[in-house]
Amino acid sequence: METLLSTLTTGILIGGIYALVALGWVIIYKCSGVLNLAMGEMTLIGAYLSWSLYQAGVPFVLAIVLTIIAGIVLGILTERIFLDKLIGQPLLAVIMVTVGMAFFFRGTICFIWGTDTRVFEPAVFSIEPMHIGFLRVTPVFLWSFIVAIALLVALVLFFKYTRWGLSMQATADDETAALSLGVSVRFVYSAAWAIAFITSGIGGALLANINGLNISISYLGLLVLPAVIFGGLNSVPGAVVGGVVIGILENLTGTYLNQFVPGGIKQIAPFIFLVVFLLFKPYGLWGWERIERV
Amino acid sequence: MSTVWLPCGHYHQNYEKDQGWWQTPLIKIKMVLLLLVVFVAIPLVLPGYWIGVCTMVGYTIMGALGVQLLIGYTELITLGHGAFIAVGSYTATILVLHFPWPEFIVDWGLAYPISIVAAALTAGIWSVIFGLPCARVKGFYLILTTIAAQFITVDFILTQYVSKIGGRAQSFSLPPGTIQIGPWEMTGDVKPYLFMAVLVSLMIMVLSNLLRSRVGRAWMAIRDNDIAASTMGINVYLYKILAFFVAGAMAGVAGAFWLSNTAAISPEHFPWFWSLWLVGVILIGGVGSIHGAVFGSLFMVLIMEFLQMGVIPLSEYYPKLLFSFAFLKKAVFGLAICAFLIFEPHGLAYRWWQIKNYFNLWPFSY
Repeated sequence: METLLSTLTTGILIGGIYALVALGWVIIYKCSGVLNLAMGEMTLIGAYLSWSLYQAGVPFVLAIVLTIIAGIVLGILTERIFLDKLIGQPLLAVIMVTVGMAFFFRGTICFIWGTDTRVFEPAVFSIEPMHIGFLRVTPVFLWSFIVAIALLVALVLFFKYTRWGLSMQATADDETAALSLGVSVRFVYSAAWAIAFITSGIGGALLANINGLNISISYLGLLVLPAVIFGGLNSVPGAVVGGVVIGILENLTGTYLNQFVPGGIKQIAPFIFLVVFLLFKPYGLWGWERIERV
Repeated sequence: MSTVWLPCGHYHQNYEKDQGWWQTPLIKIKMVLLLLVVFVAIPLVLPGYWIGVCTMVGYTIMGALGVQLLIGYTELITLGHGAFIAVGSYTATILVLHFPWPEFIVDWGLAYPISIVAAALTAGIWSVIFGLPCARVKGFYLILTTIAAQFITVDFILTQYVSKIGGRAQSFSLPPGTIQIGPWEMTGDVKPYLFMAVLVSLMIMVLSNLLRSRVGRAWMAIRDNDIAASTMGINVYLYKILAFFVAGAMAGVAGAFWLSNTAAISPEHFPWFWSLWLVGVILIGGVGSIHGAVFGSLFMVLIMEFLQMGVIPLSEYYPKLLFSFAFLKKAVFGLAICAFLIFEPHGLAYRWWQIKNYFNLWPFSY
């Protein structure tokens, strides 16, 4: 029982990070219709930037803020350089340009920082487990969850109450109508990429605190895909729920199935889940259904 | 991209001629020259290292042809083709090493060729298994299924289970003498190269014949508009599955060929990078033409070779360049894909088509 509870808690806590990254993915898809496969590399950029800043003596909070600023700049640059020219192109072109970006980012990151595992030193959050009631929680998970949720709430408030957020919502809903009402769609696209860079960068930095930082953090970018499929490609609450569900699923299979199916079942379970889920409910729980059957 | 315009004075009188391979004497001479260069000149003239590079080009072409069939001709976007190559490779390895072959088959050197056929079939069926969801999903969802195929096949089944057959830890080593075709043992540079050239020619022949038959026309109809295709009586689902099977079988042949060019098989030979590399190759070469697969493979492999040659003198001043060349290669590959998509979306094959037309119609472009 205790194992189950602690597995579930860890799943939910780490799912918060997945939810954050999934949110960034969904925002890009909703606003500009780009299916982004470079998400993992975007998490790497954020993680390595914050690590470098932290190692250079910058306090962690300030490092996160600087990562956010760098994310905004990089997001706008990426959108302007790579994706601006491909608006309205077929699916293959748009997906492959994100794949090309992914390779470019990954190659550059590996070239600059190498492939050794780095750790945040001194550790930002303690890894000594503590007890909240009868639950055993590791503070690093808890703090990561809190940061992720805080950023999620901030983003939701941004979409609900600010002018920019509302114009992004309008574009996601109906691009032509938004254009005719004077919303600058190009601005919205850039903003979407900037937000995605922020969320994935912070997600990467948090995960790097938990697991140590190396190139395999970019696995987060693939893990996002089952999450967004589960929630529905264009649903923001779906992304959050999907992220948490994938976190729980991953930890449950890691705890219970590993003895029967040794090896990397923990890493592969989300993808098996993805294939099976696609067979039965391809549009996710809250996605828009397109009548596009073969 | 249609066929090339004929030079002034040549015209077709029936449909058969219009579909012909070698339509004018000039094309016939050109193709014979090309075959001579590939089969005679390159093995005789080039040094061993560059023959190895050419073998690599051929291996890339074999993989890219299957991807071209799926993406370029049927619009089933696959980002997991490396999985099927891996399946072919492992099937052939296990058959060659562990199957109880009768004595005479080993003596005649038939074990490896038979394994290649078996590998093609296995990879085709494996590909169909992951193609089955294409009955229900399209576009991005299909892409996700193929990505899942890559990770389930290579990172899970092959790494965790198949690699451990016979108490191995990681890779299957191929002892010398096991990879044999008839009397020829696949050693050195030239023999794998010639075997590659034969396989590539055969595969291009099979694919282009398929594409000008009923099957190929059905595939292209599905690519252009699947609803219209189904109203014309094409069984869309069946033909999509068939496309998966053929592409998977080609990947299986490519994977089985890889045995003759390497001393050991391990899952690291088939990373996700390799699947994406193949898609990048056909994007750079041009989507929707066999030329595209060939040009893309040539371009990418040679560019990387030249890059390496260019880096070696520079590395004297900045040794990290050579030390982390693999990363540099990835970055350049990514940039090349982006640049081609933005500036040359039709790929190299389209440029080639324009050049041919220019010379065919010279001096008067009517």
